[in-house]
Amino acid sequence: MTQKTFLFGYGRHGIPIAEGLKKDGHRLTIVESDEANFLKAKKDEYIDIVLVDITKDADLEGLMVEPADQLICVMDDEHLNVFLTLSLRSLFPKSYILSISDSIYASQKLEMAGADMVIDLYEVSANRIHNILNKPVATKLLYQFATSGGQINFRELIIPDGSFLHHKKVESFDFRAYGVILVGLIDREKGDHFIFITSGYEHKLDIGDTIVVLGENRDLEKFQALIAQNEVT
Amino acid sequence: MNKTILNAALMLDRSKSYRRTKSFVNTLLNDYNYPYKKYLDIFIIFLIITSIMILVYGVKHPVPHWMERYDLYFVTFVFLAEYLARLWVHNDFHKLIIDEYKKSYFLRRAFDPWRALREGIAGKVRYTLTPFAIIDLMAILPAYRPLAILRIFVLFRFFKLLRYTKNIKQFIEVMANKRFELYTLLFLLIFVVLSAGIAIFVLEEQLNENINNPFDAIYWAMVTIATVGYGDISPVTAGGRIISMAVMLMGITMISFMTSVIVSAFSEKLHELKENRLVEMINKNREFLVVCGYGQMTKMFLRQMGNRNYNYIILDNDIQRVSQAIKNGYNAIYDDASRHETLVKFNAQFAKITVLCLTNSDIENIYITLNAKSISPNVKVIARVNNNAMVSKFKRAGADYLLRPIHAANSMMLMAISYPSMYKVIHAILTGKDIAIVDEVLVEANGGLEGRRIDEIDFKEKRILFIGIQGAQSDTFVFNPPMQTVLKAGDVIVVMGMQLSIDYFREYYRGSKRR
Repeated sequence: MTQKTFLFGYGRHGIPIAEGLKKDGHRLTIVESDEANFLKAKKDEYIDIVLVDITKDADLEGLMVEPADQLICVMDDEHLNVFLTLSLRSLFPKSYILSISDSIYASQKLEMAGADMVIDLYEVSANRIHNILNKPVATKLLYQFATSGGQINFRELIIPDGSFLHHKKVESFDFRAYGVILVGLIDREKGDHFIFITSGYEHKLDIGDTIVVLGENRDLEKFQALIAQNEVT
Repeated sequence: MNKTILNAALMLDRSKSYRRTKSFVNTLLNDYNYPYKKYLDIFIIFLIITSIMILVYGVKHPVPHWMERYDLYFVTFVFLAEYLARLWVHNDFHKLIIDEYKKSYFLRRAFDPWRALREGIAGKVRYTLTPFAIIDLMAILPAYRPLAILRIFVLFRFFKLLRYTKNIKQFIEVMANKRFELYTLLFLLIFVVLSAGIAIFVLEEQLNENINNPFDAIYWAMVTIATVGYGDISPVTAGGRIISMAVMLMGITMISFMTSVIVSAFSEKLHELKENRLVEMINKNREFLVVCGYGQMTKMFLRQMGNRNYNYIILDNDIQRVSQAIKNGYNAIYDDASRHETLVKFNAQFAKITVLCLTNSDIENIYITLNAKSISPNVKVIARVNNNAMVSKFKRAGADYLLRPIHAANSMMLMAISYPSMYKVIHAILTGKDIAIVDEVLVEANGGLEGRRIDEIDFKEKRILFIGIQGAQSDTFVFNPPMQTVLKAGDVIVVMGMQLSIDYFREYYRGSKRR
């Protein structure tokens, strides 16, 4: 991957996110303005760590951000986070900026400041209360998706070169027999938006299409290996 | 003889139906949270009012025979039954006897049931001497016709209303808080009335033809101080008029003083009365939420409520946050949910309560969880956890569901970075946006789904994705079960699709229309 990921903040959000990004194999640079957090990151054996004053534009410019890079703002201080988002947007207009929001008022401010995606700390969890109250069984399943700690998960798979799924109609293949359920796909012929399988259109799978499947982790692993083959054995 | 008494007591103690009846009667008469108590209340209030109306009607008209009989037999009978029932549930003879037997056995002394019976009778007598019991008894007395004077006791039926209307009770409670001020005023009043009465008696007994005895004089003083001034007795001497003027001045002062005492008593208690009212209202529901803490999470929850209608009440121990919540139009009261007294006010016995611990402190949330579970294990607790290390502690405390906003947000963030297209899907599903939702459909007995095999149900045509089943008996969810599985009543099937499709699916298979 040539794309770099800059993580601003190594605090209560930054630490677990950095860990996850490392596991997913991103080229990670941690940016901190706090000495203690900087040392903590160092102790946790991250390689690219920068200590800069994030309130100074000159320091931010020195980070060598390329247009394709992702910038993730997860400072512990909500005000600083909004300020940082705003500075980054004005300095790097083409980069993809994700910010975390600590309060319902900050979400709107972050969007105004120019974040491409704002993740609200409470939105998902507060919605879960509604779900628990109205559909307890489905909720148990639902929340596993968000925390990725559960047995059953979503996974997006890109149909690789030489896969037997190439040129197959969605209906003609029994996904369920392999313990996975096809939820939807991104058909490259029809643009890059996600189409739910229940929307009723016929789809033909091609190499390079993305399919989103739901299943137990071990079945997903097996299935991922399976679609790389050019024939079902 | 002793043995017979003991055996009878033991038999009662073992009899389930006896115990059940007694506790039912007790609940019906004394438990304000019991949802059906209000019907009894309305019935008794109806009897009281009709009975008084008959009394008033009877002053000038001959009362029809049936009315007289209704008043004499039916009303009296109900009141008598109520009186006896209250006396009955007040304490338990058989328990006292058994206790006494155990005690005797333990101390190796001779078993004497009379000691227990004496104690029981003393308890009943103590009950009959409470103000309410006396009023109840007095309300039965008018039925005794040979003594016509007892007719006036019908008025005691009015007092019976006190027991059945909460507002009057609250009024008395508020007044009781100002006991000191009101007593002071009363003593001052007695002092002024007596001294003015005696003075006028001494000054005018000879000269004023309307004042013939000390009672007349005191009656005059009272009429004057109350600024009523009938004028049937009025002072005729200069000395008497001077006393009158002084009494009038005292009267105005005291009335304004009393008014301000009562008003301040109410304004002090107004807040509390309002909050009690809110608690009473919420307790009438079969199912409601107790939301602890008015912070970011609660605000988000309320904002997402949309047109879903929950019965809820917000508790917060910070007065500023409470007033903010009230300003925003939510039902909030100022109370500390970690205190036992706070949560015990809620009707855990007859209502399904869900406590949401949403404060931003884990310690506080654990405490509230424990507090809620100690009140009744049936209370459902949904708790917010900030620190991952606390998860096991919350589970130990008995929380039914855990919300981990920071954890969830971090996971979502990771997903948004690593799998951006999937993130959109999952985010939409999780926040209930109408691209697709995951929902559940209950297999109803005699409904269209019961007894069907999964592959017989046309999920695809209904534009629905079938995900799995949770069996009626088991607590585990089966993902992607074999297509030959037959649905049983009580099973819950989990599906994914647009709200519209799911609603239609539910509607289609409702009832007994097998297609």
